[in-house]
Amino acid sequence: MFPKLDPLLHSELRLAVMSILAEVESADFSYLKKQTGSTSGNLSVQLDKLSAANYISVEKGFKGKVPCTTCKITETGMEAFHNYVKALQEYISK
Amino acid sequence: MTAQESLNLINEVLNNSRKSILSKNGKHFILWGVLLTIVSFVIYELWHTTGNPNWNLLWVAMPIIGFPMVIIISKKDADTPQNAISRQISGLWLAYCAFVMLIFVASVFFLKPMQMNLSLIIVLLLGFTECASGIMLKNWTIIISGCILGVGGAFAAQSVQSAEQLLLFVFGGLIIMLTGFIVKSQYK
Repeated sequence: MFPKLDPLLHSELRLAVMSILAEVESADFSYLKKQTGSTSGNLSVQLDKLSAANYISVEKGFKGKVPCTTCKITETGMEAFHNYVKALQEYISK
Repeated sequence: MTAQESLNLINEVLNNSRKSILSKNGKHFILWGVLLTIVSFVIYELWHTTGNPNWNLLWVAMPIIGFPMVIIISKKDADTPQNAISRQISGLWLAYCAFVMLIFVASVFFLKPMQMNLSLIIVLLLGFTECASGIMLKNWTIIISGCILGVGGAFAAQSVQSAEQLLLFVFGGLIIMLTGFIVKSQYK
């Protein structure tokens, strides 16, 4: 029996965002946009979805006078990401 | 997406992110390497020409010039985050700077000249820090350079006297600069 893949993570952009955030302490919106090659609108929507599931925390602030959105993976998000990777490896090994 | 495609995506995103973070470290190695080479060579020339060891006080130019430049470089890369490796390397080099500054200040205030072979201690620590950075970056060239710099430098510091010891730091600066170029090309 294959483990069920987390539907929230089984999307290209959301998975890319979670992969980046699993590696770093926190990342700016502009960094995530640059690394994923997505549009601002699409990234914003996907971040909201991850935030609503408590997979990431989103903090809005300012860097000098420039608005800045900082994202950080939560413990729930990290656990979900690990489980997702584990499930993928099981799919491949069977 | 298939399972394999998802795993490939994770790998690709992680690698790209890691490259962009660690190539930033390369700039810092180049900055400190250039600065160390220039400052140590200038002090060597002044000491060698005038015979006055007090020119060693010019070492304070390293933090005075270096740290503001680090801030300027960091501002340019402000949106690039830190990962575990880049944070550990930064911490390691900051610890090295703290050790060197403390031992330098302590020797100026509490020791008579030549009571302690400062160059030996500083070059050994420099080699060790370089080697530890190589271990974190999993790069054998940096590991071996650090060993040569630390161990070879310590022996050389025992063998040569006064102004000539500063040439060790010129060599050390070149090694650190080289490390910067290796890191930048490794994570390009």
